[in-house]
Amino acid sequence: MPTDNKRVRGPELSQSPALFACKAAPVAPQQGPRADGRQRDQVDVRPVFVRCGLVSQAKGSAYIEAGDTKLMCCVYGPKETERKDETDMKCGRLTTDMRFAPFSCPERGSWVQGSQDKDFSLMLHESLQPALCLHKYPRSQIDVNVVVLENSGSVLAHAVTCASLALADAGIEMYDLVLGCSIRQDGGSYVADPSYAEETYCSSDGASDQGRLTVAFLPSLNQISGLQSDGEMSAETLTAGVRTCIEGCYKLYPVLQQALIKAVRKAGPPPSES
Amino acid sequence: MATVQVSEAEKVYILHGIRDDLRADGRGCEDYRHMEIETDVVSNTDGSARVTLGHTAVLVGIKAEIGKPRPLVPNEGYLEFFVDCSANATPEFEGRGGEELGIELSNMLYKVFNKHCLDLRSLCISEGEHCWLLYVDVLLLQCDGNLYDAISVAVKAALFNTKIPRVHISADEDGGKEIELSDDPYDCMRVDVENVPCIVTLCKIGHRHVVDATLQEKACSVASVLVSVTHSGSVTCTRKVGGGSLDPESIFEMIEAGKRVGKSLHAPLMKLLQQEESLGKRRQKVGFLG
Amino acid sequence: MAADMRLPTLRKTVALSESTSDRKNLVVPGDVITSDTGFMRGHGTYVDEDKLTASVAGEVQRVDKLICVRPLKTRFNGEVGDVVVGRITEVQQRRWKVETNSRLDSVLLLSSVNLPGGELRRRSAEDELTMREYLQEGDLISAEVQSVFSDGALSLHTRSLKYGKLGQGVLVQLSPSLIKRQKTHFHNLPCGASIILGNNGFVWLYPTPGGLDEEEAGGFYTSLEPVSVSDREVISRLRNCLLALAAHKVLLYDTSVLYCYESSLQHQVKNILKPEVMEEVVMLTQHKLLEQEG
Repeated sequence: MPTDNKRVRGPELSQSPALFACKAAPVAPQQGPRADGRQRDQVDVRPVFVRCGLVSQAKGSAYIEAGDTKLMCCVYGPKETERKDETDMKCGRLTTDMRFAPFSCPERGSWVQGSQDKDFSLMLHESLQPALCLHKYPRSQIDVNVVVLENSGSVLAHAVTCASLALADAGIEMYDLVLGCSIRQDGGSYVADPSYAEETYCSSDGASDQGRLTVAFLPSLNQISGLQSDGEMSAETLTAGVRTCIEGCYKLYPVLQQALIKAVRKAGPPPSES
Repeated sequence: MATVQVSEAEKVYILHGIRDDLRADGRGCEDYRHMEIETDVVSNTDGSARVTLGHTAVLVGIKAEIGKPRPLVPNEGYLEFFVDCSANATPEFEGRGGEELGIELSNMLYKVFNKHCLDLRSLCISEGEHCWLLYVDVLLLQCDGNLYDAISVAVKAALFNTKIPRVHISADEDGGKEIELSDDPYDCMRVDVENVPCIVTLCKIGHRHVVDATLQEKACSVASVLVSVTHSGSVTCTRKVGGGSLDPESIFEMIEAGKRVGKSLHAPLMKLLQQEESLGKRRQKVGFLG
Repeated sequence: MAADMRLPTLRKTVALSESTSDRKNLVVPGDVITSDTGFMRGHGTYVDEDKLTASVAGEVQRVDKLICVRPLKTRFNGEVGDVVVGRITEVQQRRWKVETNSRLDSVLLLSSVNLPGGELRRRSAEDELTMREYLQEGDLISAEVQSVFSDGALSLHTRSLKYGKLGQGVLVQLSPSLIKRQKTHFHNLPCGASIILGNNGFVWLYPTPGGLDEEEAGGFYTSLEPVSVSDREVISRLRNCLLALAAHKVLLYDTSVLYCYESSLQHQVKNILKPEVMEEVVMLTQHKLLEQEG
């Protein structure tokens, strides 16, 4: 992908020492339990830890941890639109920004937003927008910022979940929460909520049905707000994969609901004695 | 994206038309507009193609250069995409206006074309040191809806047309390697495009979905699904675009329809490209005047 | 389901009457039209060292001593009485801004429309506040040019029952110079649809209205009832015919459109826009037109 050229970067030829490792990275096994002990071919998502309202400056914020994937999200707004020329009299504007901390991935990234980050931001935008009642916020703008602290796979899915939680925490009117889930299809079997190694490894050649799929889902409305897949899959596998992801989203739903209720209870005044 | 205004009554008309499988221009829901394809239109490229679909016009030029393979995959070459939305296509793209769309389109192209579809190993010259790098530059000449599909067809046609000169590696006395370009201009390597997918954009309008939506139809739709399909019918990439959400069932239907339509695009395209190739010099060149 | 793919072919315009090279009175900017000082300078010309010179590419027209050059490809230059079809772009104080394919947006004053409730209705401050209920951004209207401002902007009016907001139908945007000036630009075509050939090149195709129930609503009511499939097919066919005629630069008026419609009947609607079908249909149309003239 095109790299940023406006800023002096470090030595161009620096490479991660991992590349010089003598033996290739262990290939994830095709059968049996996964490296972290979860089951394959089951909607065995990593248990998530979520917490709202950690950043006091922001209108709403959320932190999510699933295995080693850690990310946080802040919501600012609604406020007057910055870009006056694009002010919409009837509808609010949602802006999303997703960034990877340079140390979040095994290879060091740059601080400047690359085109991959922009793509993630766009996906995040498209996944969140259907859930927001933007028509209630004419002429204003809502900013969603996501920072990935540690990338251990399924970043986009968790970013969607985290952002919708932060939006809810900010008191923005929404039709529904948005949950994200992803799977990695590997031939006939799949792994739900893949880790970084499971997400990136390349399997032996010629195998069909290799791909990644991320779905953003509104559970109460039963609507898909985001869909993204790459890799070669048959339409049937893809359809089955979407169903799996929806199931995964339903698994996370109660956890998020509880976290939100907890945050609301904490923020509100103590219940009056009666 | 170039947008048009459509009044409520016009929307209703379009919506009902799609429900009855008769669109404003007489097409059914799964019909494409008439498509014209011409390859080898720019002489300074190694491969080029121009595609017009209705009034959408796209020009793709491919240049092959020698570069260093990526450290993670030392035995493969790679492709770079750049999409230019020039203000020629629509005044909205003036200045930085087209930049966002350009990035969005090129990111999509990376996802669709960089994996599996090409034999990237054939682009390797010497492992870890030299490989072919294909710069795929897409220029939007006119926008009239359905950019993705037109671009993907144009990229496939341009890749088919690409002729990479053959190189020979000779080792000198000190063990160093030297790259020698073949003198014969006809001694060149072709890219195998059999597995290169085409993108089908399905616009959800009302309760149905249509392919190859015009700008007016696009204005009536809240969400579309992009499906990129290879000739064998496997799906290499899907993506929901637009601000709305979709029912799971309709997503499944759209993927199914996308697969069906996408699969049917490849055979006529390949036939046309081979026909054009066989015509050779006798082909009447139209270029940009058509 | 089909994708029609092909190699591009060189397109030639089907011209039966005069071939373009025969037209002697075409000029390009800088061409000297005459060095005779006895002529008057009109639009599209300037005087350089006593020579009358063209400033636009187009056709020279002479009326007595006045010489004008009429550009063949231009934006719409409205004249009082022209019928236009336009789209509302903005709602302002007591006026709507309308895009009519002319250089500047046209103006439709609140005082130049018939509001529901009859012609004698008085306009109140309330009407000013509810303007968006009558016409909002994106709506299409048909109107007549009432006057032309000094800067060339047009002032429109819809003070007749035939003008007003347009309901369901299809808009086709063509070049204004292709529309033939006629007594009426509203036609109920015998093939089962109606057409408004706006002088500004915007052509509106719509199902022929059955009842006359719109009158009471002052033209602001639009039916959202589904249009029948047969009407739809006629409209789609007409739309494609218009585009075919425009592609081959045939003047548009009710007869030419109707002949084209008839010539296209042997083809499927969606096939009309294919170059070879388009050529054939337009050729047939031109033969018919010539026969009728001769």
